[in-house]
Amino acid sequence: MIYGLGGALNLAYGQMAVMSAMVVLFAMDAGVPALPAVGLGLLTGALLGLVLDLTIFRPVYRRQGEARVLLSLLLTLGLAFVVDGFLTWRIPFRGLTLNIGGGPIDILGVPMRRGSLLASAITILAFALLFAFFRTTALGRAVRSVIEDEQGARLVGVDPRRMLRLILIMSGFLAAIVAVTRAMVTPVTVTLGFEITVFALIVTVVGGLGSFPGALLAGVILGIVNSIAASYIGTFLSLIILLAAAGITILLRPSGLLGVRE
Amino acid sequence: MSDQAVSTEGTALIGGAERRSARSLGALFLPLLAAAALLAPVPLWLGDSRVLMGVALLGLAFACYTIGFNLIFGSTGQLFLCVGALAGIGGYGAVLLADRQGVPLLVSILLATVAAGLVGGLLSWIAVRRSLGVIFTGIITLIFALAFQNLLLGRGDLTGGESGLRIQSGSDSFLGDRILSYYAMLTLVLLFLLVHGLLRRSHFGWGFRALRDDEVAAELTGVNVARYRVIAALVGGAMLGLAGAVYAFSRGRISPSTFAFAQVDVVVLVMLAFGGIGTLLGPILGAIVFTIIDELLVELGQLRLVALGALILVLFLWVPRGIIPSLGSVFRKDH
Repeated sequence: MIYGLGGALNLAYGQMAVMSAMVVLFAMDAGVPALPAVGLGLLTGALLGLVLDLTIFRPVYRRQGEARVLLSLLLTLGLAFVVDGFLTWRIPFRGLTLNIGGGPIDILGVPMRRGSLLASAITILAFALLFAFFRTTALGRAVRSVIEDEQGARLVGVDPRRMLRLILIMSGFLAAIVAVTRAMVTPVTVTLGFEITVFALIVTVVGGLGSFPGALLAGVILGIVNSIAASYIGTFLSLIILLAAAGITILLRPSGLLGVRE
Repeated sequence: MSDQAVSTEGTALIGGAERRSARSLGALFLPLLAAAALLAPVPLWLGDSRVLMGVALLGLAFACYTIGFNLIFGSTGQLFLCVGALAGIGGYGAVLLADRQGVPLLVSILLATVAAGLVGGLLSWIAVRRSLGVIFTGIITLIFALAFQNLLLGRGDLTGGESGLRIQSGSDSFLGDRILSYYAMLTLVLLFLLVHGLLRRSHFGWGFRALRDDEVAAELTGVNVARYRVIAALVGGAMLGLAGAVYAFSRGRISPSTFAFAQVDVVVLVMLAFGGIGTLLGPILGAIVFTIIDELLVELGQLRLVALGALILVLFLWVPRGIIPSLGSVFRKDH
């Protein structure tokens, strides 16, 4: 989950995911087979990122530092309200569920649902592709240079504005992937936006802002902590433990698990 | 074309305003008196309506929250996203002390206020010690807010869970009367404004301003950045706790949603940004305007959220610095 890159926060991230899920839902309602419908959903996510970039992120990127964070926070918050309010008004009880057929598969003696397995596989694949993109391609390196130092990137001939646009498009695309993979495990309802945003936020910060392996590692660790705590202790304490784990990680390593210290 | 231009107005959104503020005591007390004169007669024409007095009380509570948040965020740049949680510590703390332990009303409010202040100070101390930036402070405090919220829901035996608590104590005191509790809350608003105003005028104010404008330079010239931040969070946290406690007793019942992130922090952020971050009177202006707007939007029913969101979008695309600083630069005379 790309998040908070380019010095801006996108609090409408979960809403982007939910909107993509709704597009998949409606496409499937209209009789489109599941696979093209999902493709359409991913396209929607990317498109939403582009639209966001062309509209409310224009004034955001014109600012620097703290002012940029704050403005992006407020604007995307407003957008999240609009999307949430509209969706709960028009389609309050709809939820996207993608059923992956077949019974559970045993892996090392542990029964796993096919949906969860496929979801994990897609997530890992997406991460691998992202990682490869950022490490090996010139474009990926250009994007990273903007994340690290906008002025420096500009000086060596990288146009920060175009890279930031690319980041948002990819972020939208990934939000759609999150929505789709999540729909394979639990229904993605219209009210899920805020939860997705918060979880993405925590994972990113724990993993290290702008660090992709860190985000993956943090996601896995927090997932494990969550399920262990949930099965041994009550659900309410498990969430607190999850949050405490995230908090402690940030305190011990303010730049995240795999983040680079400034 | 225009989006290529990166301006250097780094601090445009934060501060910049009211640099000329409060030279004399009159400049401090005049706005206070104006606010008092504006808000004091409200019960005269709303007093008969239970519902509208409830709205007015909530508005004042939000004014208190926003002033507290303004002191922490606007003055010292610490993005505390746990305004609701700190107010909740005050509210739930005082109610549980008074109802379950039989602690006298005022003592319980005092204890809860101290507790909220200490928690605020502790969070700030952690953030300062680990030198967390804006985003990280925001996220740590957001995590704290979510954990607190889950604690309220989880300890249903103590807190009544989702449905909340009916408060027994306090109903026979002055806080049980809706007119008197309105004035109690108004007193808090004015008191908080006064405290914030005095802080800004004292050497703290110079410290705040210095560290907000340039932290490194402030540190180098001998401003103890860490101390100022922690003190601001202590005082601000206590304000939030006090307001939360008084609001809880005046309202007579509380639930986790009374202090939820989406119900409190989001609104406070919008109110403050609308009024002008770091300005003295911004919080109260933002609180009044947004309480009225919110009440008008109630008739829209489910579309209220959409309208509120759209309003936020339009507002910050149009006047990103907040109303008071923008007005200030329009009438560049005196403000």
